[in-house]
Order: sequence, then C-alpha cells, then structure tokens
Amino acid sequence: MASSGSGTSHEAWGSRIGLILAMAGNAIGLGNFLRFPRQAAVNGGGSFMITYFIALLLLGIPLMWIEWGIGRNGGRYRKGHIPGMFAAIWKHPAAKYFGAVGLVVPLVVMIYYTYIESWTAAFAWFSLTKDYWGITTQEGMVGYLQSFQTISPEGATVYHQPWTAYAFFLGTLFINIWVLSKGISGGIEKLAKIGMPILFGLAIILAIVVLTLPAQAGIGTTAWNGLEFIYKPDFSRLDEPGVWLASAGQIFFTLSVGMCTLTAYASYLSKKDDITLNGIATAATNETAEVVLGGTIAIPAAVVFFGVSGAMAIAQGGSFDLGFATMPVVFQHIPFGNLLGTAWFGLLFFAGITSSVAMLTPITAFFREEFGFKRETVAWSLGALCLVFGLMHIAWLEHGVLDEWDYWAGTFGLVVVAVMEVILFMWIFTPSKAWESMHQGADLRIPQVFKFIMTYVTPVYLLFILGWWGWVDALPILLYEKSAGGGALDPANSPYVTFSRAIIVLFAIVSVVLIRMAWQRNKYDDRKGFVEVDHSGEAA
Amino acid sequence: MSTSAIVFMAGSWAFVLGLTFWAFYKLLQDKQHFDPDGIGPAAPPKPAETERPKG
Repeated sequence: MASSGSGTSHEAWGSRIGLILAMAGNAIGLGNFLRFPRQAAVNGGGSFMITYFIALLLLGIPLMWIEWGIGRNGGRYRKGHIPGMFAAIWKHPAAKYFGAVGLVVPLVVMIYYTYIESWTAAFAWFSLTKDYWGITTQEGMVGYLQSFQTISPEGATVYHQPWTAYAFFLGTLFINIWVLSKGISGGIEKLAKIGMPILFGLAIILAIVVLTLPAQAGIGTTAWNGLEFIYKPDFSRLDEPGVWLASAGQIFFTLSVGMCTLTAYASYLSKKDDITLNGIATAATNETAEVVLGGTIAIPAAVVFFGVSGAMAIAQGGSFDLGFATMPVVFQHIPFGNLLGTAWFGLLFFAGITSSVAMLTPITAFFREEFGFKRETVAWSLGALCLVFGLMHIAWLEHGVLDEWDYWAGTFGLVVVAVMEVILFMWIFTPSKAWESMHQGADLRIPQVFKFIMTYVTPVYLLFILGWWGWVDALPILLYEKSAGGGALDPANSPYVTFSRAIIVLFAIVSVVLIRMAWQRNKYDDRKGFVEVDHSGEAA
Repeated sequence: MSTSAIVFMAGSWAFVLGLTFWAFYKLLQDKQHFDPDGIGPAAPPKPAETERPKG
C-alpha cells in the first residue's frame, strides 16, 4: 500500500519574505562576489555578459522554475528529498535511485564549502585584529593564506599555529549545524532574515568605498577602469565555446540549480502557494547581488591598487587569490581598512553560511521523512560526518582532494542533477502537467515561450554542456591525465585523488542502500505513487 | 570608461535591477498568497468598519 512516509510533523515557512530571503540566501554565495567578477574579466568582459544573460534566460531561470515546481510537487507528498520527488513525478521503480545523486551532491559540496567558509570567518577575525597588517604584497598575502591553510612551502614564513584552521572550521561547522537543528522556520528562516540584510548592507558599503577610491600614485587607474575591465566588450570571443561554457557554468553556480536545495526549500510550500513570482523574485535578487554588487568590489579594487595588467594577472590566478590575498592588500591602503576588511570577509561569511545550511536540508528531510528521526538527531549526526571529512580536506588540501570533490560534485554533479530534473519534469511528467503544476496558486503567469524553452531548449543546452565538459574535462580528469584544479596531475597526489573519489562512490552506494531501505520500511508502491498529504489546494 | 563598456554595464545593471524591482513591486501588490504556511487565512482580513454616529 502506498503511503507518504513516517509521518514526522512537516515543517513550513513562517512568512513569504522569510521564504524569499532564505531562497535568495541559498543562491547568493561566494560565487557572486569572487567567481563572477573573475569569470567576466577573463572571458571577454561584455561578450561574457551577452552569453551570461542568454544562459540566464535559457538555462538559469527555466531550471529555477522547474526546481521550484519539482520541489513543491514533492511537498504535496511530504517529500523534501530528490529520491522522493523523482518517484512522485515518475512512477517507476528506477526513479528513486536516480535521486541518490541528489543526496550525495549537496552533502559532498557542503563539506568542502563549509571549510572554505571557515576561511572567511578566520580572515574576518584577522582583519579586525590587523593580524596580516604589514604584509603589503600580493605574494606575501598568498604566503599568509597558505600559512593559514597549513600548506606553506619548505622554508616559507609560518604565521599561524597549525590548529588555527581546524579551530575556525570547527566553529563554522558548529554554527551551520546549530542553525540546521533549529529547523526551517526557527533556524534557516531566522538566519536569512538576519544575514541577508547584513550581507546587502555590507556589500553596498564596500561598493561605495571602492567606487570612490582615488587613483594611487604610480598606478593612476580608478575603480571605473576596473568596471571597464569587466564590461568592455570583446566580440571576437563570442565564437569561443569556452566563453559560452564559462557563462553557463557561472549561471549554475550562482542560482544554485542542480544543488537540490531549491527543491528542498520549495517542498515546504503548500500547493496553493505561488512559486512563479517568488521564484523570479529570488533569482532577480541573486542577480542584483552578483552583477551590480559582486562586479563592483573585488576586481575594481584590484585595478585601483595593481593597475589593469596587474588585476588581469591576479584574475588569471583564481578567485581565492583575488579574495584572500589581493583584497587584504587593498584594505591596508585605505582608511578604516581593518573594519572594511572585516566587512568584506563578513559579507563572504554570510553569503557562504546561508548557502551551506541549505545544502544539508535535502538529506535531513530524507532521514526525517523516511525514518522518522528527530531533526536535532539528524543534524548533529550529519555534523559529525561533515567534521570527519572536513578534517580530511584540511589535512590533504595540498593533495587536490578539495578540487576533486569540487569538480565531481560541485561542477559536473550539478549538471547531471539538472539534466535528470529537466527530463523527468518536462518530458516524463509531460510539459502540460509540469506547466499546470507550476501555475497552481501562481501570482505570475510565466510567458508561454518559456514552456517551449523548458521543454526543448534547456534540455538540449544542458546535454551539450554535459557532453562538452565530459569530453574536454571530465574524461581527462577521470583518467588522471590532468588535475581537477587545472594543470597536470602530480603523480604523488594520485592515491589521494583515488581515495577522495572512492568516498564519493561510497556515499552514492550508501545512498542507494538507504533509499531501498526507506522504500521497504514505508512499503511504498512505485507504480501507485505516494498518498497526497497536502490538501490545501481544495480549501483555497 | 569607453562608451561600449558603459553601454554594457548600464544595460546589465538596468536588466537585473529592473527585474528585481518589478518582481518585488508585484509581490507587494499581491495580497492573495501572503500566507505561505497555509495556517492562516487565504485572504487578508478586511479593514474594520465603524458605524457612523446617527444624527
């Protein structure tokens, strides 16, 4: 007999603004302020923006609405996890197993993302206490960052005790798990209501400071030259597939599509609640944070103090160097620099934590709904798991373990999840049912052209990305021909890479076993589907 | 800044800010689905009416 699960009390959002802030907080992350400006600068500026907005319209916004639709549809059967959501839209025994990837991807990303988030907490503290004051070169700050990460080369100056990185990781993880243990309305929504206004406030202050920075002696460039560096169109690059892939990848990262967090959050809505207007409002908020604020801070600041060519070299070096090495140098040259440094890293911390807390929501929902565990028990148990594997990342950072997880879960995994979502919802569930489902309780009629885009354009676009990345990147990385972090793979790191992949595979196997156990425990009949528990539509 | 860079920046900012303000304007206009948890009433309460004193 079909049923809806173990019957733990289903949670809900306390207010519409709380929902929108939590959804936007989930989407606004480190990528908005570190990854976006760098991607724009190194991929043709204005040309990147053209491809970026095309990807937003054909990939990001359609996928966002699809994920809200899948999530709220799952919520009708009290399913806040992807295996249940897939089974709800495709009544086939295989559907739930495809959903295993939807448990693994957010868990894996959350573990290493929380570690990176702990760097921002640490650097906020280092800024406030002026711990790095006096290290005024880019190279010097890279050395300082490496010292914190405990990966300093032989003979380099060590600035930190070895336990420093571990202490900040523990603290950051504790805050994440504590918020998660407080639930949707009592934890995540409250965090968003506090964190998001702080995030926007800090970002606006920093953007104004950067835009009003005077030209430096010997450099002569201003923040406006930095904006030109980002936005100057280089149309010759529009025919490069790499630019199109970079912009599509950025859209994925920034909207958190494929992460299974949008679906999890949307499952806490009833079917009479709007998702079309809420969805576009959160996506637009994220885009404002990224395009208007994210593009106005790091790169323009770097151009003021290092010139255009210097900023280009920094941008080529990667997002982390830009955020953790360049910006601290900048702060040492401006009034109230330590406070602005604290604001910058505080901004990144709030951007990070509102995203990382969301990442454990799907797996928490799985254990609560299918096995009847208490939220606190699940949260702290997952916290212990994250602690063990987080410590692995700290200890083995220099061996490319984090890059490996970031590639397979945080890059490739997102596209895999998105492909499955769009095929299941738009093709198997059928376009008409998907369209009707998205418009239940809608405050906004989605333009009809998006039905065509979601049904045909988005899946083809996604399959192209998956195929291209698979051929150009994933296959050589899988075969140890290059490293996930870029460049050739150091043979000495191969055992670590293999081990890190084995853990992801182990997570996937355990997920499949747990899904099977859950279905047997709750006596679900895949062909009949679940019993609907959300009857609010009839009352509305 | 060059004219082309200004055009791209202004266009990009106008698009995302316009979309954001439009979405939140619509949200504030809407009164039907203000109650996402489904516990409260489906429509906002009507403003209280007071009887005019006679005479």
